[in-house]
Amino acid sequence: MQLTRSLSAIVLLGAALAGGLARPAAANTAEAAARVTMFDEPSSKNIGVRVLHPQADVSATVASAVNFAAGYSADVVTGATPATFDTVSAATKFSDTRHLVHGGFGFERSDGGISFAGAYGWESDYKSTVISGTTHHDLYEHNFTLALAYSHNFDTVCDADNTAAAGLPLDRVALANSSGCFTSTPGYVTHSLQIDTFEPSLSWTMTPRLVLQGGATIQILDGFQANPYRKVLVGSQSRTPQEHLPDFRQRYALFARLAYAFPELRASVLGMIRGYDDSWAVKAFTADVTGTKYLGQSMLISGRAHWHVQGGASFYRDAMGYQILGPAGQYWTGDRELSPMGNYLVGGRFSFFRRPQQERSSWFVEMELGGKYEFLYYLPQSPYAPNADRKFAHIIQGAFAMRF
Amino acid sequence: MHSRFFSKNPSSRTRTRTRTGLILLGALLFSGCSLSKWTVKPHQRELLADKIMQLDAEPQERAAEEHVLANREGAIGGTGTSGGGCGCN
Repeated sequence: MQLTRSLSAIVLLGAALAGGLARPAAANTAEAAARVTMFDEPSSKNIGVRVLHPQADVSATVASAVNFAAGYSADVVTGATPATFDTVSAATKFSDTRHLVHGGFGFERSDGGISFAGAYGWESDYKSTVISGTTHHDLYEHNFTLALAYSHNFDTVCDADNTAAAGLPLDRVALANSSGCFTSTPGYVTHSLQIDTFEPSLSWTMTPRLVLQGGATIQILDGFQANPYRKVLVGSQSRTPQEHLPDFRQRYALFARLAYAFPELRASVLGMIRGYDDSWAVKAFTADVTGTKYLGQSMLISGRAHWHVQGGASFYRDAMGYQILGPAGQYWTGDRELSPMGNYLVGGRFSFFRRPQQERSSWFVEMELGGKYEFLYYLPQSPYAPNADRKFAHIIQGAFAMRF
Repeated sequence: MHSRFFSKNPSSRTRTRTRTGLILLGALLFSGCSLSKWTVKPHQRELLADKIMQLDAEPQERAAEEHVLANREGAIGGTGTSGGGCGCN
């Protein structure tokens, strides 16, 4: 079961950059961190989906100029395919594990820096290799920071051999399982997916309390982007061909972020708004705000709210639409992320810090223990939308970090 | 009638005015004296250096969050590429 699909680029870029862009706070610093995140999406019709996401990262900065970062993460997924009748006739259980390793290094100067990173992710039916580079430069007495990030994915996707259905997308059959993927077993093929992601941004330290950032994300995907397991009930003759998506997609986002300090409250607010458009006609708007406050000398608490709304892809129809009207052109999908929908997310987080007293020597600088809970509520626009049996999800995270 | 902004042969007076405007704009943007009134000085950055003011303070946690939401929303981007303008070095 593919866990990453075509969206892995921005995720892997984020993971690959973890630590690469972190600015050194002292001449020699190091950090080791471990996190476990559980994503639980119950279903009203079956066991839903549960994802365990452990991750471990280490990073080090030497002489304030050179930093290294490396890490490992995994997704252990168990669940059932969505029980909506537009995609499959019966929900089936599945389980799979995705692994990801990443590493990177960077050079920092007083007014800028550059870093490079690589990541490799693999699972039974999907392999992903990402290379990325970032640079940032401070301007006007460190009041502006111009940053550029680029990544390229070399992904490989396993699929059923549909050579006989070339030019006849309604005859395409879905992949039944991944047992023969990436082998010479007849009936299996691999497709390529190339992803280029470019993200420039400009930050402005506007006042001693306020930092603003504006930027853009441009992503171009070229290759197989469908879920090879997904069937879509198309037309009134009970035909269930494999999901069929265009091979090419251009995605654009404009975003603005801010950080504002409330020193009298020992608190801050971070905010983000984003507008999104792509060549499949998905338009979206997202807003995110996080408030964080110190409690005493060793405790941080924060609350977060997130709101997202989007329109559907030009070829999207809900289950009833595909059955009554047939496909909208030569493509069809049962992907919730291509349907008109929205979501709300609210949650809270705490961190407890332990710092040795200055006068006592210690083998560490700081120890952090944290936890987080978030509730994600989906807003599908139709009762016949994909994954309509999954209304909400819980996100729970525990984290531990040591800084030296 | 074409707007003069689309004219292929602007008058020399227009060119002079444009050039003067660009010089003034450049002088404003690149003059340390004019910007120094608006810049945030190093000694004013105490709040900005705090970890709760960093747009990308927890990159590993942010990667995990993106991993969850990017696979459940049809949009990407907006995570930023660098914490902004702290100048803490």
